[in-house]
Order: sequence, then C-alpha cells, then structure tokens
Amino acid sequence: MNFTGYARPDGSAGIRNHVLVIPGGFLAAKICDFVDGTKTILTADTGSGRTSLDRETIARTLIGLGRNPNVASVIIHTLSPGVGYPELKPARLAEEIAKSGKRVEILDVAKEGSTFRALEKGVPLAREMVLEASRLRRQPFDLSHLAIGVKCGHSDTTSGIAGNPVIGNLFDRIVAAGGTAFFGETTEIIGAEHILCQRGINEEVSRKILEAAAKIEAAAKATGDDIRTVNPVPSNIAGGISSLEEKSLGAIHKSGSAPVQDVLKYGERPAGKGLYFVDNWMSMGSIFAGYAASGAQLVIFQLGGGGVVGNDLLHTSTAVIAPLLWTTANPKTLAMAPTSLDFYSGTVIEGKDTIEEAGGKLLQLVLDIASGTMTRVETLRHTDPTQIYLRDPSF
Amino acid sequence: MTAKGALMLSEKDNVATLLENVASGAEVLIRLGKGTSTVNARESIPFGFKIAVKAIARGATITKYGETIGSASCDIKQGEMVHIHNLEGGRGRGDLMKGGVR
Repeated sequence: MNFTGYARPDGSAGIRNHVLVIPGGFLAAKICDFVDGTKTILTADTGSGRTSLDRETIARTLIGLGRNPNVASVIIHTLSPGVGYPELKPARLAEEIAKSGKRVEILDVAKEGSTFRALEKGVPLAREMVLEASRLRRQPFDLSHLAIGVKCGHSDTTSGIAGNPVIGNLFDRIVAAGGTAFFGETTEIIGAEHILCQRGINEEVSRKILEAAAKIEAAAKATGDDIRTVNPVPSNIAGGISSLEEKSLGAIHKSGSAPVQDVLKYGERPAGKGLYFVDNWMSMGSIFAGYAASGAQLVIFQLGGGGVVGNDLLHTSTAVIAPLLWTTANPKTLAMAPTSLDFYSGTVIEGKDTIEEAGGKLLQLVLDIASGTMTRVETLRHTDPTQIYLRDPSF
Repeated sequence: MTAKGALMLSEKDNVATLLENVASGAEVLIRLGKGTSTVNARESIPFGFKIAVKAIARGATITKYGETIGSASCDIKQGEMVHIHNLEGGRGRGDLMKGGVR
C-alpha cells in the first residue's frame, strides 16, 4: 500500500508540489495570478486587534501551511495586515517554516521601496521557485507518510449509518499502517463525548476530550440560544437529524476505532502518528486549513446532503494547499452533484458492499489521489476563503 | 403491502432509520443485525427519517445507536415519525438557562 509523492528535506512526502505565498493579500494574489504552481491563503483574519492567543493561532496556521509536505517552498511577503505583532513577524514565520529544511524567501516591501517594485521582484522569484519545484520527481512512500483530515457536513441519517463508518474504516486502515488521521468538530461530539473519551490513550487524553466538549457546551449555553437553531444546522434537520446528540453520535463514527493519541489545537502539529482529535470548528471554511496546518496532505468532506437541494458544485478546497475529496452515502446527493463527488459509499446501505469493502475501495482512491490524480473539485481554479478558528473577542 | 426497509442500530433503540420513503399504512421491515421485525407506518415518512418501533411516552428517552438522542416531547405511538416535532434534544440548550445571559 504505497503512494508516490515528493520527498521533502524533513523526511515527509508531499502529494502535491506547490509554492506557497503568505500571509496573503494584494502582493500574494498578484504573484499567484502571474505564476502557475503557486498558492496563497485568502483570509480576513490578519491578527489586527486580536489577542495573543488568537494571533498565535494565525501564526500557527501560516507556519503549519508552510511546513505542510505539499509545499515545496515558501515566499513570505511583508506589508501584511496585523503589522508589527511579534507572533506574525515575517522573520519569525520564515524561521519556523525553515525548520522543515525547505526554501523560504522573504519579500520585503519596505526594502524594495514599493509594493509594485516588490511585485516586480516577487514574480520572477516565484517563477524560479516553481521551476525548481518542478524538477522533483514522485517516488514511492508507504502510508506512514500520509496524514488526512475529515469533516462530515450537511449530515443526514445516511452519514451516521454508512458515510461516516466508511470513513472510520479508512481511518483505521491508515492508522494501522502507521499513518496519521485527524478528526474534530468539537460541538459535534456533544452527546457522544462519553463514548469518545473511552478511546483516549491515557486518562489525560480522555480528560482533554471531555474538557473540550464541556467548554464548547458551556459557551453554547452562555449565548442563551437554543442550540437546535444553530447546530444541527437546518440542512441536517431537513435530512432527518433531530438533535445535536443524534448528530454527534453519527459524527464520531468517522473516527474509526483507533485510540486517540491526543487533543490538538486548531493548526497544531501532532507529536507523533496515529489518530488525533482536533478541538476545532465544523465550518468547512475553517476546518480544512487547520488540518492542512496540522500536516494533512489530503482532506475529506463526508457529505450527507439529504437536506441540500440543487447544488451540483460543492465547495472547492479551503485547505489552501491540500486537495479536497468529497464522499457521500446518500444516493440523492450523488445524483445531485456527480461532478463534485469522488466516492459513493451508499453501496453499504444498498447491501452491495460491507463497510469494510467500501473502506478498502476508498483507501485505493485515496492512494490514487495521493499519487497525483486530481479530486473533482481540484480541477477548478478557485479557492474559497479561509476563516481561521479564533476564540477570543476582538478589540 | 410491500415490506419497506428501516435500520435499527442497537437492540436498545426505540427508533429505526428508514432506508426508503414509506407511505402511511405501509408495513415497514425493521432490520436489526440479522434479525427482522415489522411495524406499520402511521404516516408517510421520507427516506432517512426515523420511525418509532415502539410506543414512547412523553418525557421518555429516545434511543438510537444504543445512546440517548433526546426525549419525547409528547406521547409517540409505534409507527409514527420521530423528528423535531416530538423529540427534544437536551444538550447545549442555552434557551433553558435560568437568568439573564447576554
């Protein structure tokens, strides 16, 4: 069970080979307009007026994206918003990313004397870096070099019965082979945390799982809102899910059965390999970039979709540099969005596949995509904006 | 009447998930592992929605996956659809908090 990827200096394996330009904004966007093979992050979360906790989350996200194995090299430009905060200084970001051994260049607008002069320098620099990256050839890697992250969304009752259990089987296979898998969506373990916490590798991890759920439930209650008007979201309810507890009990199936090694912060890199719970937020605009910052080379959206009507173009990747693979177990959803969905696990409901059989097929697809086959939404030149998961008030 | 399929995920469950649309009065085949039973649908229920496999009294726990997914907000008869109109989730309910918040 191998895939072919790009060897990085730190021993990791990229399944894509991008040059990343951060922190994003005019300069990054224009460089990416001109130079193929580049990526940037589109976000309004710049750190301005944010607490040290939130600024560190932004920094962790940018550094993590830069260190992700899918990135061959990085350009960091100045004149970023959030100017001057120590956590977000370009030199600090560059130093942290360079620990991976990859090439990092700083494009200093002040030094060039003008944004446009910096652009004049940045475009040839990016071209040269893309050319350099293109000289790399894929080579075989085993599954211990693969990390994936998953979210389930627009969940309906097919998600809990088939879609998520098939992802869980994929997770079990990847973890058993020495790889890494991330799941999260803390609000969506409320009502199922008593089951999930039994899978912590030790008491501390189990306690962290319970604490994460308790903290987000307390925050939900403090709003005074009926959570049922927030989450489950209306499309969940239209798909047959009646309560947050029901949604959570279906959602945890996507984690498979492996022990949980640790609870990570949004964008935090794991200390080792195996299954990790990430204390994050379910929004697809947020979660996937966080997984990529944690090191995921591939992200999966397991779609219910029973409550979604007439949407054939599903979101493109918000993981910035990691391709997004869409799965569903709902036959109506597959009929609605065949040009966006990569994998159908409704065969489990139809009695054509067992969960294990479908999980084995999904693993083959994952290895294929890891080796270079594009996901369906990856063929579109569009990246939806990223909302970094910030927890403090803004000032 | 043709038997329609629904899936129970644990023997503790008092609801099953429909794998097809069922019409009112249809006999629904309830699958639990390798075993089967039948329940008559008291109303039409769409694919993916839940049917009560036994009577559930107001206030009683509603169970799926062998776990609590909420409580009955009114008496539910066997064969009725179970959804937000008669199932009350109990977690994260800021609206049930006493005193002024926000």
